Amino acid sequence: MLKEEFRSHATYSGKERFLTFPVFVFFLATIVGLTLEKISETVSLEELATFAHLSAFIYGISVGAFGLMGRQYLERRYGRNNYLVTLPYLLPFSFRTAFLGIFLRDALFYVVLLLVPATCGLVAAIPVMGYSMVSILLFFVAVLVTFMMGLSLSFLASVLFIRSRALFLAITGAVAAVFLTHLVTGVPSLHTIIPPLEFQMSVRPFGDDTYAALTSIALAVVATVVMTCAACAAVSVRIETSSQMHRVLLPSYVSRVPLVKGMNLVLVAKELVDLRRSGTVAKMFFSLVLPLLFLSFAAWFINNGLAIPVGFNTVFYAAMVGFVGILMYNWLNNIDLSEYYSLIPVTVPQLIRVRVIVFLALTLGISAFFVIGISIINGDTELLWLALIVMFVTSLYMAALTAYLTGLKTNTFLFDTSVLAKFSVMSFLPDVCLTILSFSIQSDWITALTGILIVLFSMLLTTLILYRGIETKWSRFSFAT
Amino acid sequence: MPVIEAKDIIKDFGAMRALDGVSLEVRKGDFFGFFGPNGAGKTTLLRILTGQLQPSSGSVRVLDTDAIEDPIGVKELVGIVPEVESPPTYLTGYEYLYFVGKVRKLGDLDDRIEKWLKFFDLESKGGVICKDLSKGMRQKLMIASAFIHDPQLVFMDEPFINLDPIYQKILREFLQDYVSSGGTVFMCSHILEISERLCNRLAIVDSGKVVAYGDKSELVKDGEGLEEFFLKSIGGGRKREPF
Repeated sequence: MLKEEFRSHATYSGKERFLTFPVFVFFLATIVGLTLEKISETVSLEELATFAHLSAFIYGISVGAFGLMGRQYLERRYGRNNYLVTLPYLLPFSFRTAFLGIFLRDALFYVVLLLVPATCGLVAAIPVMGYSMVSILLFFVAVLVTFMMGLSLSFLASVLFIRSRALFLAITGAVAAVFLTHLVTGVPSLHTIIPPLEFQMSVRPFGDDTYAALTSIALAVVATVVMTCAACAAVSVRIETSSQMHRVLLPSYVSRVPLVKGMNLVLVAKELVDLRRSGTVAKMFFSLVLPLLFLSFAAWFINNGLAIPVGFNTVFYAAMVGFVGILMYNWLNNIDLSEYYSLIPVTVPQLIRVRVIVFLALTLGISAFFVIGISIINGDTELLWLALIVMFVTSLYMAALTAYLTGLKTNTFLFDTSVLAKFSVMSFLPDVCLTILSFSIQSDWITALTGILIVLFSMLLTTLILYRGIETKWSRFSFAT
Repeated sequence: MPVIEAKDIIKDFGAMRALDGVSLEVRKGDFFGFFGPNGAGKTTLLRILTGQLQPSSGSVRVLDTDAIEDPIGVKELVGIVPEVESPPTYLTGYEYLYFVGKVRKLGDLDDRIEKWLKFFDLESKGGVICKDLSKGMRQKLMIASAFIHDPQLVFMDEPFINLDPIYQKILREFLQDYVSSGGTVFMCSHILEISERLCNRLAIVDSGKVVAYGDKSELVKDGEGLEEFFLKSIGGGRKREPF
C-alpha cells in the first residue's frame, strides 16, 4: 500500500520531483532550527511547541477522514488502475484489515513525508545552534503521538459517520464542546485535551517530570489505540448495489443555471448534479467551515491564550477566508473520475475553468456570510465593505492560481516541489502583504488602504493572466490516463 | 478516399515503445478489425486515432481532420466506445445521454435518447445512476452515447465484452446495418468469432508493429479461420509449460 501511495503521487510530478518534497521540508525545518533563537525572542519556545502540536493534531484529523469514503474508497480506482484496497473483494482478508492497512499506510506515509524530514532538519541545525539531540527526539515522539491521536480520532469519527449520523454528531459535538469550553473557561487545559503536549512540557527542554511524562504519553497512546480499534471494529462497508431511481435533474439544472452559456452551461449543471448526488456538498461545507473555525481559534489563542496583542480585524479574516476557501476546489476534483470526458469534444482547460466557476459560486456565499459574521462579532462593521472586496479578490486569485498550477489534480500536484514552491510563494506573498496592511488599518488608515488596493489590483491582474494561461498550459493534457 | 490515415505512428511511454511505426488506412464503409495480443498497442493506437492521446511522432488524419492538431475536431465527428465502460458515476442513464447530446449540441435530443434507451432495453433503468448499473448496462450506455449523434465513423474498443449473447447479436446486426448504410467502424477486439463475421479489412499488431494488414478475403485463406490466421501472424501463439 505504501508503494502504491508513493507511485500514485509520483505518477504526475515524477518520482524525483515528488522525492524533493521531503527535502523541501528538511530545508525549511533547518531554517527554522537556525532561526529558532531569534523567533523565540518574540514567541516563547513553549508557545511554538504548543502551536506545533495543535498543527499536528489538525493535520492528523485532515489525513484520517478516509473512513468517510466507505464503499467509494474500497472501490477506489484511478482510470484503469484499481487500488490494493479493493483486495478484500478477491482475497481472504476482511475489510477491517484493509482499513487498518490504510490507517497504518497513511500514518507511515505522512510521518515519513513530513515529520521525519522536519525532525532531521532540526537535527541538522544542532552543530550550529547546539541543541540537544535528546530534546529534538523527544519533540519528535510527542508530535508523532499528537498526529496519531488526530488521525485515529478522525478515522473513528469518519467511520461512525457512515454507520450512524447521530453517533458522528455526538463524537464531533463532544470534541467541539471540549475545545469550546477550553476557549471560554480555560478548562480543561490544552495539556489535558492533547496529552502529548503535557508529555512535551514534562521533558527537556521544558521540564523534568518523568512521572507526568510517562503517564501522559501512556494515556495518549492508549487513547490512540482505543480509537483506532473502535474505528476498525465499526468499519461498515455496504457492498450491495442500489437500484434506487433518481429524479432526472440535469435538464432542469441546465435551464436554471444563470449567467453561464454555451457548452459550459451543461458542464456546470453536471458538476452541480454530481455535488448533490455524491453528498460532497456537506463534506465541502465542513472542509471550509472547520479551517475557518480553526483560524478563528488560532487568532483568539494568539490574542488571548498567548497574550500577543495583534490587531486581527475583519479585513485580516477576509484575506484568510479567500486563502482557506481553496480547499474546496480540491474537493471538486475528487468527486468522480473524468476519463469519459476524453470521449467527447471537451478540453481539459474547459473543465478546469468550469470548476473554477463552480468553486466561486459555492464559496463566495459562505465566505461572505463568515466575513459579515466576524465583522459583527469584532464590532468593526465599518471595515466590512473593504473586507468583502478583499475576500472576493483573494478567492478569485486563489482559485485561478490553484487551477493554473494544479489543473484537475490538485492533491497530487501540490506534492510536486516545484509546483508547491510556486504555489507557496504566490499565495504567501500577497497573504503576508494583506495581513501586515490589515494590522496597520487602525494606526495609518490612508497608507493601509492604499497598500491594500495596490495589492488587490496586482492580484486581479495576476488572476487575469493565470486564468488566460490555463488554456496554454493545460491544452495538451488529456483526460485519459 | 480513406477516412483514417495513420502514418509512421510511434508512441513511447518512457523507455517502453508501445507503437513502432504503425501505418494504416481505413476506407469509408470499411468494418476494420484491429487485433493483437494483450499489450500489443491496440488501445494506444485507438486513443491516438481519436485524439485522446498524442503520438511521439507520426501523422494522423481522421475524416480529413488532423487528429494531432485538432483532437476536438475529431471528437466532434466520430463516436468512441472505450475499453473500460466508464460513464459518469452520479448521472442517470438518461442524464448521461442528455449530457453527451448537449455537449454535442444536438437537436431533438429527447427522441434520440428515447430511441437508444429503447434499443438497449434501458427505459426502466433510465433513472438509475450509472454507478448502480451493471457492467453490461454501462457498456450499452457507452455504445449509445457513441452513436447518439449519428457519426460517420465509430471507434470501438472491445464493444461486445460485457454484453450478454442476446445483445451481442443485436449489436452485431446493428453494426452490420450501420456499415451497409455507409458508416465506418474501427474495432479492437479479442472476440475473433464475432469479428470474423463482421470485418472486411483488418490489421494485426504485435509488440507495437503491424504484422498483417489488408483485406480479410486476401489475408485469411479459404478453410482458415481468423483465429488460425491471427495465431500464425503473431508467431504461432505462445508456447507454455503445463502447470
